[in-house]
Amino acid sequence: MRNLYMIYGVIVLGLLGMAEYRGWSLASVNEVKNVPRSVRDNPGSYRSVYAVYHHYTGGK
Amino acid sequence: MSTGGPNPPSTPHVKAMNCPSCGAALSLRSFTQAVSVVCDSCHSILDAQDPQLKILQQFKKATGEDPPLIPLGTRGRIRGTPYEAVGFQRRTIHVEGIPYSWHEYILFNPYKGFRYLTEYNGHWNDTSTLRALPTLNSHTGDVTVSYLGETYQHFQTAQASTTYVLGEFPWQVRVGEANEVTDYICPPRVLSSERSGNEVTWSMGEYIAGRDIWKAFSLPDGPPEPIGVYENQPSPFSTDTKTIWTIFGAFAIFLLLMMLGFASFARDEQAFQGAYIFDTNARSEASFVTDPFELKGRTSTLELSTTTNVDNNWIYLNYALINQDSGQAYDFGREVSYYHGYDQDGSWTEGSRNDSVAIPSVPPGTYFLRVEPESDSGHGTIHYEITAKRDVPQFSFFGIALLALLVPAALITWRSMNFEHLRWAESDHAPMESSSDGDDD
Amino acid sequence: MTQPAANCPNCGARILFRWSSSVQTVCEYCKSILVRTDVDLKKVGQVADLPPNSSPIQIGAEGVYNHHPFVAVGRIIYEYDQGTWNEWHLVMNNGSAWLSDAQDNYVVTFAAPGRKLPASAKVGEQYVWDNESYAVSTVTKAHYRGVEGELPFQYWDKEDVVFIDLMSEHGKFATLDYSDEAPVLYLGESVEFEDLKLKNLRTFEGW
Repeated sequence: MRNLYMIYGVIVLGLLGMAEYRGWSLASVNEVKNVPRSVRDNPGSYRSVYAVYHHYTGGK
Repeated sequence: MSTGGPNPPSTPHVKAMNCPSCGAALSLRSFTQAVSVVCDSCHSILDAQDPQLKILQQFKKATGEDPPLIPLGTRGRIRGTPYEAVGFQRRTIHVEGIPYSWHEYILFNPYKGFRYLTEYNGHWNDTSTLRALPTLNSHTGDVTVSYLGETYQHFQTAQASTTYVLGEFPWQVRVGEANEVTDYICPPRVLSSERSGNEVTWSMGEYIAGRDIWKAFSLPDGPPEPIGVYENQPSPFSTDTKTIWTIFGAFAIFLLLMMLGFASFARDEQAFQGAYIFDTNARSEASFVTDPFELKGRTSTLELSTTTNVDNNWIYLNYALINQDSGQAYDFGREVSYYHGYDQDGSWTEGSRNDSVAIPSVPPGTYFLRVEPESDSGHGTIHYEITAKRDVPQFSFFGIALLALLVPAALITWRSMNFEHLRWAESDHAPMESSSDGDDD
Repeated sequence: MTQPAANCPNCGARILFRWSSSVQTVCEYCKSILVRTDVDLKKVGQVADLPPNSSPIQIGAEGVYNHHPFVAVGRIIYEYDQGTWNEWHLVMNNGSAWLSDAQDNYVVTFAAPGRKLPASAKVGEQYVWDNESYAVSTVTKAHYRGVEGELPFQYWDKEDVVFIDLMSEHGKFATLDYSDEAPVLYLGESVEFEDLKLKNLRTFEGW
């Protein structure tokens, strides 16, 4: 049992090290490829899935 | 020996005789060592040392059948020595009015003598009588007994009576006879003392799996399933619990060092900062792009922080981090809202004026941000500042890793404690809160 | 071992001695107890029927104790209130020893002369011999039940005899034998059956 735990712990710490080194995070981010350079001249032309947003009304 | 001779030393042979009570044939498998022998047919207990097989006790009433799981006459190897099952008995104790019975098998080898196997609810013990006496340690509180460097805890004292007998015994056996039996445990071993009159006999048992008995005696089918936890049943957890926590400690220290290491070696440098104003009433295109900025070093996080001055308002920012050269973009949205007020409970707040997110695994290169703000119209202007920091360590991961390491250790400890609780539930020292013995019937 | 031969004065059968220093032996054929004098063998008694014996050891059994090989050449059978036990006379290269055999409990002891011995002792009393502390564990009253084979002294038909057994913390064993007027001390230790590496044991039917 303790050998299993040791292997498990090494894996956990290994994953941790890899996550920290490779810059993982918990954020959900969409990767988009091949954004044309014209976006710099016309930012409005860029369409994102996140642009359509359900308004948060908030408050109590 | 001198040559020849009319009387070579006789080879002891299994004696065949007839029961004086019912005439049935019976044989003495243990040659001259049996003291009592029970007739299979009429269950009379006979004096095995008497050539006439004097009747010592008769079962007037039928005791019912209790067939031994190891049939008498079966041979098997225990610790490399062959033994034959020659006797069998059932012994019963009463705890709070409830009878509990276990079985004992008398094993015989003409060179090694007698050995015993006890069985209770599918738990087996390999037992033999002790020559040397264990030492009693009566400290105040728990009574313990020491033998060969091990300390045994008192488990149970009870009056054990013999309620069924079969075969041969190396002592005088009587149905109904009761002796005080005390068990002291040091799993996987147990020390039992049996007191009859002034005499005390000690024996030591070692827990043995039913599977091993079935293999040793080549018995058909399988052993009965063990029920509950037996007094000296070895815990599958005990030694591991301590070492696992030690290993956890080592891991925790290593984790701390990793955290310090990453915290100090991370760049954590500001790559970009910009301040903007969003006019909620403006009808023009809200999206814009920032100046390009450099992201250095290895592939790592980019922490994007948004600080605003929203007051009972919200702003939603659709961000895209775009690599100027490769055209790769990271697209996401962040909502910042802050509300506050006053009601009968006092003042309240909801949300925050600031937000922070870590974009994962951004390769080095030249980037710019495309920003598209959004809000309810008619709420004036919102001032906000965007800051991008390169290579920020994710401390939440350390917390998650610590939890991941903690959970199995805690789980194993919990299971071990549960096992021990079950063990002691059957003893004289059952823990208070349990509703007495977990009946294993 | 030299094996001087002689004839039984009672029945004429041939008697062979395994051990040159045997003082007494028993004729296998007529069960006469024979004592060796300078010249010949003299019959001094008769062995009655021996009790049923379940010991795996027999006369002629060989084994090893403490790297010394031995042969069991004789035995004395004692009887007490709980049954009987055997004292096997073992002969080794450098002398003789005793193997006590009781319900598969084996103890090897050697005669230890020239020590101060008590006239009697009670359970729990302590004595020191050869820098080892012994405590009295049992006091047994036994009587002679029979003899077999060769013995280093004369022994038969004795009255009740007291044996005092002592044990030390280190597994050493001692016996005070009060068969004669002056007590005799035997020192030794208990042994496991396997450690004796016995050969030429009795065979049991089916084993």
